Amino acid sequence: MRRLNWLPVAAVAAIAIVALATPLLPLPDPLAMDIAGRLAPPSRAHWLGQDQYGRDVLSRLLWGSRVSLGVAVLACGAAVALGTALGLAGGFLGRLAELLALRSMDIVLCFPPLLLALLVVTLLGPGAATLVPLLALLYLPGFVRVVYAGVLSVRSQDYAEAMRALGATRLRIMTRTILPNIGGPILVQFSLTMASAIVLESGLSFLGLGVVPPAPSWGLMIGAARSTMAQAPLLLLWPCLALSLTILAMNALCDALRDAVDPQRAPRPAGLRGTLAPHAPSLAPDGDALLALRGLTVEIDTPAGAIRPVRDVSLRLSPGETLALVGESGSGKSLTGLAAMGLLPPAARVVAGDIRVDGRDLRRLDETALRRLRGTAMAMVFQDPLSSLNPVHRIGAQIGEAVRAHHRLPARAVRERAVGLLRRVGIPDPERRARSFAHELSGGMRQRAMIAMAIANDPRLLIADEPTTALDTTVQAQILELISGLKRQGGMAILFITHSLPVVAEIADTLAVMYAGEIVEQGAAAALFARPLHPYTAALLASVPGEDGALPRSIPGTVPAPHDLPPGCRFAPRCAHRRDACEAAHPPLAPVGDDRLTRCIRWRDFAGTRPSAETAA
Amino acid sequence: MAWAIRRVGLSILLIWIAASIVFLAIRLVPGDPAELLMAQGGAPADPGAVAALHTQLGLDRPMAAQYVDSFRRLLHGDLGESLQDGTPVAGEIMRRLPRTLELIGTAAAIALLIGVPAGLAAALRRGGAFDRASSAVSTLGLATPIFVIGTLIVLIFAQLLRWVPAGGYVPLAQAPLRHFGLLLMPACAIAFGLASTMFRMTRTAVLDVSQRDYVRTARAKGVARRRVLIHHVLRNALMPVVTVLALQLGTLLGGTVLVEYVFNYPGLSGMLVDAVNARDYPEVEGIVLVISILFVTLNLAVDLLYAALDPRVRQG
Ligand code: SF4
Repeated sequence: MRRLNWLPVAAVAAIAIVALATPLLPLPDPLAMDIAGRLAPPSRAHWLGQDQYGRDVLSRLLWGSRVSLGVAVLACGAAVALGTALGLAGGFLGRLAELLALRSMDIVLCFPPLLLALLVVTLLGPGAATLVPLLALLYLPGFVRVVYAGVLSVRSQDYAEAMRALGATRLRIMTRTILPNIGGPILVQFSLTMASAIVLESGLSFLGLGVVPPAPSWGLMIGAARSTMAQAPLLLLWPCLALSLTILAMNALCDALRDAVDPQRAPRPAGLRGTLAPHAPSLAPDGDALLALRGLTVEIDTPAGAIRPVRDVSLRLSPGETLALVGESGSGKSLTGLAAMGLLPPAARVVAGDIRVDGRDLRRLDETALRRLRGTAMAMVFQDPLSSLNPVHRIGAQIGEAVRAHHRLPARAVRERAVGLLRRVGIPDPERRARSFAHELSGGMRQRAMIAMAIANDPRLLIADEPTTALDTTVQAQILELISGLKRQGGMAILFITHSLPVVAEIADTLAVMYAGEIVEQGAAAALFARPLHPYTAALLASVPGEDGALPRSIPGTVPAPHDLPPGCRFAPRCAHRRDACEAAHPPLAPVGDDRLTRCIRWRDFAGTRPSAETAA
Repeated sequence: MAWAIRRVGLSILLIWIAASIVFLAIRLVPGDPAELLMAQGGAPADPGAVAALHTQLGLDRPMAAQYVDSFRRLLHGDLGESLQDGTPVAGEIMRRLPRTLELIGTAAAIALLIGVPAGLAAALRRGGAFDRASSAVSTLGLATPIFVIGTLIVLIFAQLLRWVPAGGYVPLAQAPLRHFGLLLMPACAIAFGLASTMFRMTRTAVLDVSQRDYVRTARAKGVARRRVLIHHVLRNALMPVVTVLALQLGTLLGGTVLVEYVFNYPGLSGMLVDAVNARDYPEVEGIVLVISILFVTLNLAVDLLYAALDPRVRQG
């Protein structure tokens, strides 16, 4: 459970306490009439005045809260008890119970709630004795579904399996593992239902079909005050206020519980806005480089303060060149790629450095100018093709959209171009595939479609962020083959972001290895593969990392968090070659021969041999 | 397609079950409806009158025969006669149903036109002044029961300000302007809560969708901001919004009772309240049946609409 917002809890508790304490308060009898005091305004004896029979309004209001809350609590309590039982039975006792428990609920749901209530009241007559079972019945399906869903998700989890394997009885599994787990959702549903029950009860009472007069009830009071609203409008206001405030508190409680129970609903930084802040000094053009990053530093605001997951990254990419940016997850490589697209998430911003694509300084461009460059100057292929494709638009339309974003073409020409692109990325039967939706394609096919979308306007720079990670090995090889084919044909520059060195062995011309937000080694791919000059590169080479971008097995420890970096060499805690000098100062990225950079102070020791891939325990 | 047919079949089954339940409920509940009806006013029922009523309602025949008979008549659109004045129930329902539907439709249109743009605007400037103000208003809208809003509207605009009459109904053909004027108040009473729900849903959905990978993809393609917003964000965000709207409308089919009562609007639900009070069983039975058929049909429409909006559903 996350932290709970206590304010609504306190508000609801206060209302409940007032309702419970009402009999103890020195209030006039809520039923005592006083015709002389008919519609009297507020006075010392009657703080909120008197109603059309001279009864004390405050007293009726407080006694009414007991009726409203009492009916709601009883009904919801019954619904919880019965609903939990049915939901558990449905989830545990096999197909027949499941069918009966769930389908019978569908029948309740085929009447609008208020309508069902009216039907029942017609048959049984008004009164609290009708209301409680009626409301319980109305809210039963909600609880059955919540519990059933909870059972399904818990049932499949490991510990329920384990307990079953240990020979625990069904009942024991239910009480030990399931009930604690569905407690949260039930609580949320309960507060939701309470609010709804209060509304429904007061509505029925308002119509004269709920609580029977002269018992005080907010709905009845509103209904009665209507006839005298010309003379005494305040009489109408008090019960309306009491009712709305109670529901307000219940709704707030429900929201708070939901936030606490479901981490998915917790607030996340979001929004569509967020471009690069165009204020950095501009540097001289970077020769013929297609992509030039200089001293790129990205900052992200977190609740714990600002962090810098990318620091002082400089890269250069010439036309036709393929640069592989390698590192574990959390190394800052993806943010670097997004920065080069001008697509950093809203919470992140470039605080220092220079991003140039094809000679243009991205930090000095506004969103419109950036938009024109995206897709034409630079394009990007993302890791997960399924979530990166829009589920509701056809593949052909999504590729066509990329074309149309930059060219005014008749619809037919756009369609033909989309089909042509699909053919170019090796999708068989492209006319038919163009009409498919993303979920109808295989993983490899989807990634081909993503690539088709990226190359739709012949970008000069393609940024591929882990394009093969979500795919299985054979398909991986095919996609790599496709990308290197595109590279041979078009002279496109490629920034290939990956956590796996072996993947880029074939395709990369140059390598840049990132660790904890910094480049630790950089140079020609062949040279790096042959003789790494940083122990981290050596460790990456020695390991075949897992598919999820997690740490390679052979490197113990974790990438340090951006707000908790070691003072000296960032890799020192995990490095087998560490000396005291390593931790004394942060090593600079030093040139070591032609076009070769390393951030390890002991590189000379490895120049003759490979640094051992063994690392500190 | 097979999916859609199965879904339609299920709905027909549900309608049949609903009709059977209404039929059985009235006949199986303890107490003889005829006796209850005739005994009103405290005096014991006259056996002769009860017997006559039994014959009139067909209650003296075997249950199975009644059941078959009532379904046969149902298929011909015959819902029996009112116990109060002997007029055909179906005719009166058909006269009042359009009024209720017009009310719900107007309310839904108002709610959509306010709730969706406001939700979008609030999401785009999350945490801004508009977001905070509109979120507060929607919290109020969600917390205020429909009859409270309605009563307060009458109090403020009809009683205190005297801008509008307190309620009523005028046929469209008779006085179009007055017709819409009278329609507007109850419609606004319904729309307040409904627009709040639409606002909430839109805001949440837009915030959620704008973080999706495919929105980033669209931006990476260089698609214009407005198009990203409409074709990718809103297009996907509207699916839950439409679903919730439709479900809310279903609830409103019964929920207009309160508003019609407050504004003295002669719709279907008002007729239901009268019928309930008069224990006019054929009328109650007929209205409940018609509304639940509408309700089930609406839920069916939601599912089919959802399938049309989201191609992934069609597979399942
Ligand atoms: S500087 Fe020292 S600790 Fe860092 S990588 Fe080189 S040898 Fe290891």
